[in-house]
Amino acid sequence: MFSVGFEMKGSSDRTKVVLRHLPPAISQETLMDQIDGFADRYHWVTFRPGKPGPQHQSYSRAYIDFKKPEDVIEFADFFDGHLFVNEKGIQFKTIVEYAPSQRVPKQWSKKDGR
Amino acid sequence: PERSARVAKVRPPLHQYIRKLLFSDLDKTTIEHVLRQLRKLPWSDCEPYLLKCFMKVYKGKYGQIHLIASLTAGLSRYHDEFAVAVVDEVLEEIRVGLELNDYGMQQRRIAHMRFLGELYNYEHVDSSVIFDTLYLILVFGHGTPEQDSLDPPEDCFRIRMITTLLETCGHYFDRGSSKRKLDRFLVHFQRYILSKGALPLDIEFDLQDLFAELRPNMTRYSSVEEANAAVIELEEHEHSVSADKANSEKYSDSENP
Repeated sequence: MFSVGFEMKGSSDRTKVVLRHLPPAISQETLMDQIDGFADRYHWVTFRPGKPGPQHQSYSRAYIDFKKPEDVIEFADFFDGHLFVNEKGIQFKTIVEYAPSQRVPKQWSKKDGR
Repeated sequence: PERSARVAKVRPPLHQYIRKLLFSDLDKTTIEHVLRQLRKLPWSDCEPYLLKCFMKVYKGKYGQIHLIASLTAGLSRYHDEFAVAVVDEVLEEIRVGLELNDYGMQQRRIAHMRFLGELYNYEHVDSSVIFDTLYLILVFGHGTPEQDSLDPPEDCFRIRMITTLLETCGHYFDRGSSKRKLDRFLVHFQRYILSKGALPLDIEFDLQDLFAELRPNMTRYSSVEEANAAVIELEEHEHSVSADKANSEKYSDSENP
């Protein structure tokens, strides 16, 4: 759809990707089923539901931090451009890109004693 | 025709409380208190709503945006997942703004640029994120059939986005590799500016202020051709530097078999 100057490139140490333009009403479960084959290759995933409906609709997104940079390339080959079709027959074409911020939550985030 | 009275949105008490803290209580004297109150919230319930409110920085006063960035940094100690989400979310907002280029969203898009800059000032994003964003704004949609709607030739909004971000955090790019990165970016930026032709005066004044503040001695090119030549020179220089580097690596390889 849009050509962006941030295509997947080799020789990189980046591991965090963002899945964009997912259907607004997709559930996390549906998405996770689709990428089941990669289940043991990432250590962090977070899902941002979109907003369905006629007004101010927005796409869903997900962020995934893979264990190895090579996993990213393979995943992008597999899922970039993946088509979702909703019950009305509308198509949504997934975009897989490196997340612009590569930060992921620190595992040791303390429990807040407040 | 009769119209029913507009029904006011009823928000759960916790959401009302969050809004009160962020949109009316928050100022520089109360920020410690607000941070403490936010930490006391039931996080698993409130996190999505809190994220939504943090993205509404454009509703408050422009001068308050740094307080929201400061809160983000303060919360990251206990809720790093949230702080990471804030950064991802603001970068997504910027990207969606470029994809839609909706006139009605301009105010909030400017606020998000400012927010990103403040997140850098609170050491919550790296300079590489700032520079990637700056270049993204220069090139997004260019070379596609949608170019004229995404970045119309007479539209200077992207210049305002960039000046906003650099006004907020550009003064930190004054040494080392980030200084060189800003020098390089400003050449590309000048080429972009010149491609727009004659600028509205307010934009031109903002640019003059920006250059005076960040790089008072930098050449301001006066034609697209000059700026193009400067970009080409820059790229040739970079090319020769990386070739030198490759050569010296080869050399050291042969030294150490």
